[in-house]
Amino acid sequence: MKMQYRLHVLFSGFLLTLALSCSKQLNEHPNSVVTPDFFSTAQGFQSGLDAAYGGMRNLWGTENLFTITCIGTDEFITGNDGTGNNINYYSSGYTPSDGKLSPIWNSCYTFINDCNGLVDYGPKIANLDSVKRKEMIAEAKFLRANYYFVLVQFWGPVTLNKHFQSTPTTSAQRSPVSDVYDFIVQDLQDAIAGLPASPVGSGVLPGKATAAAARHLLAKVYLTRASSLAAHADDYQNAFTMASGLITSSASLGLGLLPDFGSVYQEGNESNKEVLWTVQHTASLAYNGSPTQNSSGNDNVLVHMWVPKYETFVPGMQRDILDGRPYIRAVPTRWLTDTVFKEKTNDMRYNKTFQTVWLCNNAAGIPKWPNPVPSGVDPSLAGKPKFALGDTACYMPGSDVSDVTIAATRYLLMPPRKYNIQMGPYMKKYIDTRRSDMNAPSIRPVIVWTLSETYLIAAEAAMHLNNLPAAVGYINTIRERAAYPSGNVAAMDITAAQITQDFILDERSRELCGQMTRWWDLVRTHQLLPRVIAHSSDGRANIVGKDTLRPIPTSQIQAVTSGPAYGPMSDPLWN
Amino acid sequence: MKSLVTAGLFFLTVFFSLTLSAQPSSVAVHGTITSSGGEPLAGVSILVKGTRTGTTTGADGRFQLSVARNGTLVFSYAGYVPKEVRVGTTDLPAFQLRLEENRNDLDQVIVVGYGTRRKSEVTGSIASVSEKAIQDVPSANLSQAIQGQAAGIDIEKSKGNSHPGQSPNILIRGTRSVKAGNDPLFVVDGIPFQGSIDDINQDDVASVEVLKDASSTAIYGSRGANGVILVTTKRGRAGAKPRISYSGYAGFTKWLGEYPMMNGPQYLQLKKWATFIGNPGVYTGPDDPNLINGSLIALAPEEKQGIANGRSTDWQKLVYKTGVSTNHQLGVSGGTDNTQYALGAGYYDEKGVYPGQEFTRYSLKLSVDQRLNDFIKIGLSSLNSYTVTRGENVNPMGQALRASPLVSPNDSTGKLINNFLPGSANQVWNPLADFLPGNSVEKRNRLGTFSTVYVEVSPMKNLKYRFNGGAEIRNDVYGNFYGRYTTNNLGVQSTAENATTQTTSYTLENMLIYDKTIARRHKINFTGLYSFQKYSVQNNTFDYASVLSDQAQYFNPALGANFQATNSTSDPNKNNLMPWALISYMGRLNYTFNDKYLLTITMRSDGSSKLAPGNKYHVFPSAALAWNAIKEKFLMNQTTLTNLRVRASYGEVGNPAINPYQTLGSLTAQTYNYGSTNTTGLYPNAAPNPNLNWEYTATANAGVDFGFLQNRVTGSIDVYHSYTRDMIMPVTLPASSGIPSQILTNIGKSENKGIELHLAADIIQSHSNHGFSWSADVNFYLNRGEITQLLPSINTTLDGKPADLANKWFVGRPIGSFYDYVRAGVWQATAQDSANAKALGQTITGNKSVIGQARILDRNHNGVIDAGDEAVVGTPQPRWEGGTTQRFAYRGFDLTVVAFARVGGTIESALYGAGYASTMQGNYNNVNIAYWTPKNPTNRWSAANSAQTNPPYHSTFAYFDGSFLKIRSMTLGYTLPEPVVKGIGFKSIRLYATAKDPFILFSAYRDKYHGIDPELTGTTDNLNTPASWSMLFGLNVGF
Repeated sequence: MKMQYRLHVLFSGFLLTLALSCSKQLNEHPNSVVTPDFFSTAQGFQSGLDAAYGGMRNLWGTENLFTITCIGTDEFITGNDGTGNNINYYSSGYTPSDGKLSPIWNSCYTFINDCNGLVDYGPKIANLDSVKRKEMIAEAKFLRANYYFVLVQFWGPVTLNKHFQSTPTTSAQRSPVSDVYDFIVQDLQDAIAGLPASPVGSGVLPGKATAAAARHLLAKVYLTRASSLAAHADDYQNAFTMASGLITSSASLGLGLLPDFGSVYQEGNESNKEVLWTVQHTASLAYNGSPTQNSSGNDNVLVHMWVPKYETFVPGMQRDILDGRPYIRAVPTRWLTDTVFKEKTNDMRYNKTFQTVWLCNNAAGIPKWPNPVPSGVDPSLAGKPKFALGDTACYMPGSDVSDVTIAATRYLLMPPRKYNIQMGPYMKKYIDTRRSDMNAPSIRPVIVWTLSETYLIAAEAAMHLNNLPAAVGYINTIRERAAYPSGNVAAMDITAAQITQDFILDERSRELCGQMTRWWDLVRTHQLLPRVIAHSSDGRANIVGKDTLRPIPTSQIQAVTSGPAYGPMSDPLWN
Repeated sequence: MKSLVTAGLFFLTVFFSLTLSAQPSSVAVHGTITSSGGEPLAGVSILVKGTRTGTTTGADGRFQLSVARNGTLVFSYAGYVPKEVRVGTTDLPAFQLRLEENRNDLDQVIVVGYGTRRKSEVTGSIASVSEKAIQDVPSANLSQAIQGQAAGIDIEKSKGNSHPGQSPNILIRGTRSVKAGNDPLFVVDGIPFQGSIDDINQDDVASVEVLKDASSTAIYGSRGANGVILVTTKRGRAGAKPRISYSGYAGFTKWLGEYPMMNGPQYLQLKKWATFIGNPGVYTGPDDPNLINGSLIALAPEEKQGIANGRSTDWQKLVYKTGVSTNHQLGVSGGTDNTQYALGAGYYDEKGVYPGQEFTRYSLKLSVDQRLNDFIKIGLSSLNSYTVTRGENVNPMGQALRASPLVSPNDSTGKLINNFLPGSANQVWNPLADFLPGNSVEKRNRLGTFSTVYVEVSPMKNLKYRFNGGAEIRNDVYGNFYGRYTTNNLGVQSTAENATTQTTSYTLENMLIYDKTIARRHKINFTGLYSFQKYSVQNNTFDYASVLSDQAQYFNPALGANFQATNSTSDPNKNNLMPWALISYMGRLNYTFNDKYLLTITMRSDGSSKLAPGNKYHVFPSAALAWNAIKEKFLMNQTTLTNLRVRASYGEVGNPAINPYQTLGSLTAQTYNYGSTNTTGLYPNAAPNPNLNWEYTATANAGVDFGFLQNRVTGSIDVYHSYTRDMIMPVTLPASSGIPSQILTNIGKSENKGIELHLAADIIQSHSNHGFSWSADVNFYLNRGEITQLLPSINTTLDGKPADLANKWFVGRPIGSFYDYVRAGVWQATAQDSANAKALGQTITGNKSVIGQARILDRNHNGVIDAGDEAVVGTPQPRWEGGTTQRFAYRGFDLTVVAFARVGGTIESALYGAGYASTMQGNYNNVNIAYWTPKNPTNRWSAANSAQTNPPYHSTFAYFDGSFLKIRSMTLGYTLPEPVVKGIGFKSIRLYATAKDPFILFSAYRDKYHGIDPELTGTTDNLNTPASWSMLFGLNVGF
């Protein structure tokens, strides 16, 4: 009896735990993870599209894209605090593992796959309005074309994924440049058919893809392909048709050139009628980029990139939000400030592009006249402050002045021969005074394309088609606008005889310098080597033929572990 | 002090009276026998040598006996070293004897998985660390206390960080996994423990057993691959009088050294060289007066003033302060035959060498065992702790090491600068600003409760049923607040983080144990188990910024703006709910024939929720054999060898350390906005991975246990070879695949083999209670690990063997090998070197010239320096490691020294290579090295150059030999004589002083290169809290 009781106790114990556990416990029901099947719902589709737009912040606005499109060209050389970059010196330290390259390569492919998912699943998603569906697929194609265009311009023959990849693969192959361009062109043609016509108009949110932006991009794609190995005979014609068509219809789309070149880049005016497409940022800091808002990741850091060391170099100045945080990654070449912008009177763009005056904001730092005073200065001023708060602390007249004049000037007077990699004219298109702090990243949208560039694309295509009157017309429209308000409009006009590739490149500098397009422009026009050798003290000694393509990132090459090795390299010299 | 002298005199008097007095033919001995810790020992057998006369001690450890004059008493007690004492000729009314624990005793019972075994019956490879050994090293946590005390167990500071509350990394028999983790499983009082080892109070621990071979760990099946650490907490003993004890210590902590940075003049000279070389053709040399007066050198006005004043600020000196540690432990234990209990309460507090760093632990431990009737016994054990960690991420080194020594932390009015410091490229915030009250607050409160219960039913003589239940709940509340004007936020906006993590786990186990001896010679023991464990961790982390009032710190997110809730799909500490469950069936059979031949067979089947359907279950088998050779006739007739046992085992265990949801794939959030419309999008990040499986490790182990001279010398030697297959490897997919996240695959294989030696010796035994004794423990071990297989299709090689270059895995090399370019000196300013450099495509003119910079070997002789020239330049795997504990005793004094050594192995120093302290740019202060100049054509260091953020191939300067010998602790104790102690109403009193980590010896990194601490796991990620040493003064009292 007693034994039976004991066994009973034993048996109950077993039952107790068996009841608590069964194999159902081994099934996973994720609550905090969203799995890829979400993508096939309407809500998931919208989120995928939002992310594909968000991915653009990994390109425009970052130091990476800025560095490899703006510096290392004829326009800018490396500034004092950017000298760690080897990439713009084209020196032997510039290798396929350069840290500026892989983030761009990687981002493009991540978000191409995102777009692939949208394009592939879009037609199958239930409960989605057909107009909305068409528009959203068109947006995805616009974005995908954009990512591929970045890839093909930097790396030439790249991997072309046309469909969503959801299974892991360790192999990859490169496609001919022509296939990549064909895919881009098709995507943009589809996008033009499905997108709202214009960013100006009811219901189009800032930053959204529009047919106007897609037309501009397609014109640029044709123009770029036209001078590549994948050229089609009608590329220049198509570029011209696309660009001039957009210009012709611009008025009806609510688009147009602003009267004042300066107001195109004015803070807070990023949605003006000249702007075709922007990559958005916001004062709502949680949505503005990096979580820490410390000018890392996908923050818009263009506001910092050109800021010179005024706070250490200019007496009477301290760091403030208007003058910015001195990252000084780039300074203009003397050729840009002195030659391209030689005309500073009738052409207002120099002074609307560069800051050349700093106003004293630090009473404690105001210098005093020495005793004895320099010649030409009232001796009674000896020992007295040179200027007061709010007065000019630094001025760059843009032309030479003598050392005697410099010594006798109460503020820091810097003629061009005094420019250096710490202090020079400051590219002010990205000034942002509404940031939370002088050290914070920008909250301004990045303007990617303006209608003025459409004019320059049309002009370049017209030149290649030998339609010089058209080229002159488009260029003169841009140049005449540049005289606003006080320049001599007539003096700005050029004639057909002046139309050359070099002239158009120079005009692009005057209109677009600092806008993350220059390196591509120079490669497109086969002018990278001649112009870097001519104008860049950084790169002239080192640049060679292979530098017209970027090297495939080492991380990509090493990760291709099955199938044929990832190659050949962009250029046989890159290995 | 006076009482100490009195005590000493009294002690001497007693001692001499023992030996000198001449009295009747027999002497009366009245005495007490205690353990070395002062606990009275009940049931100690006392025999008069050569007779059958004797007695045993009572519950209070007392005895009395009459002995012939000059007779010898033999004291013996299971588990303790027997002792013989000659009594002399006078009565001994207050005889007192401490017996030392015999860690080598074969009858000692040790804990194995799901049960206990006598040491002589163990068939696997198990290292045991005793309570005494754990007490020898007063430490912040258990893993620090057992560091260096057992062969095959490598315990090291994680990333070299020494902050209070840091948890060391533990590796058992090397590294076998690249992704599934190499952390052993912790089992506390029989139940898998999920908490941090920091939460265990070392004073509550009775023993630690480390299961190393597959036979021992197979019983933990899928979780055994990295070894298992069994922690047994103290319990009350039957028939022991209540005993109250107190132990405590207090002491100070000092940094072991400063990072060797430049002083003012050295820094100025560096700036001159950097500017001169970075602007070729502009100046005539570093002493060109135009240079110091020019703008290119980037000297702030304050720095110029500092040069004029001869200022040289030692920023580290301003940052470090002396830390303080305090520890108080109170224990009560006792028991009757039916009820036993133990209660412990502890307080530990450690303040580090940075202001604001502190670790405090309050712990409460209770265990009760109760016999209900003749066949049911129940018990519970509850471990509770509350810890507060402050400033765990405080690390002002990024600013302190870079700050210009030419400037002062204060402005011209004497006020602390709370801004970027002048100089240092306006990038370095005053590191002292963080220490302004309320400016930087970081606190983690962790509450953990871990309780186990058991019910043991013996329905029949040979059958036992045991139910084990364990429940663990941990709450971790973390917050930080960094004011706008701190090194964290550099004046942008204040930031705060608030994170709450709750971890729950329960385990239910049913065990049947059948134990029978058949025909006296066949002993059978069968253990059957069914177990279920459910675990869940939930975390919510919010980050926000621009807190309206600094006073609100991180407590009220409503006062902040810009909420962030960051998420990583694979990180249980980032806004995730991650549950998993494990269902297990296990059987183990032990068979012993004639006490000579032993066999253990174990099978365990585990089913895990983390794996995809179809892959969830796996069976883990193992077998072990042992031969007690000492029991054979041919060894009976000798006395030298007193133990000889040979063991062999083979088995397979698993490593399931995959996070939940890894087989499912995931999308990742990306924020964006369209004008004022904010969105959070999702993009594909990880691909579904249904084939993911556990990785398996099969281990063959052979060992010999031996003892000589009545086991005065004992030891064991183990050799093992383990084979890991289906090694989980994160494969970085080509970015062009569009899947950015690495994918886990079971593709690799690795092997580890090694030798472990453990020796323990009572080198000098004292023949009286007061004589000199010396005992020593030595362990020595080495492990050789290598990857033996990678993805079969891998098409890249290194030195002819397959190599995964992106992940730095190489067949034939250990996991974690350093892969880098090979530096062969420095390009010198000679025509020959210029020509050679140019031939390799190196830039030799301008400010990017390689002259004065690292000269990289063109290993593949293809005429250029490229990725193909990289090689394995070192491995973190040491040649060998070892530890020793030396114990000396004389009269009431005891001296214990614990040391351990690592020899060989490469460390990567952030100070010299990967970090920010040696940029050589002249923008920031720099580590003080004899850098290259035309006048100092060294081949060891590169030149300064203002035109580059870091010297090219900077990392090649970072590799150092990681060998060292560390004195872990030195403790000098004095136990007061019993009469003195009794006189003031105590049972025992011991005073001691401990120097913790006082010396690091034979470290080239430290001695030659002025690094601080070579003890780190492979690499430093950051320059962090420097190593420290402490001096503690303690007291143990028994009431």
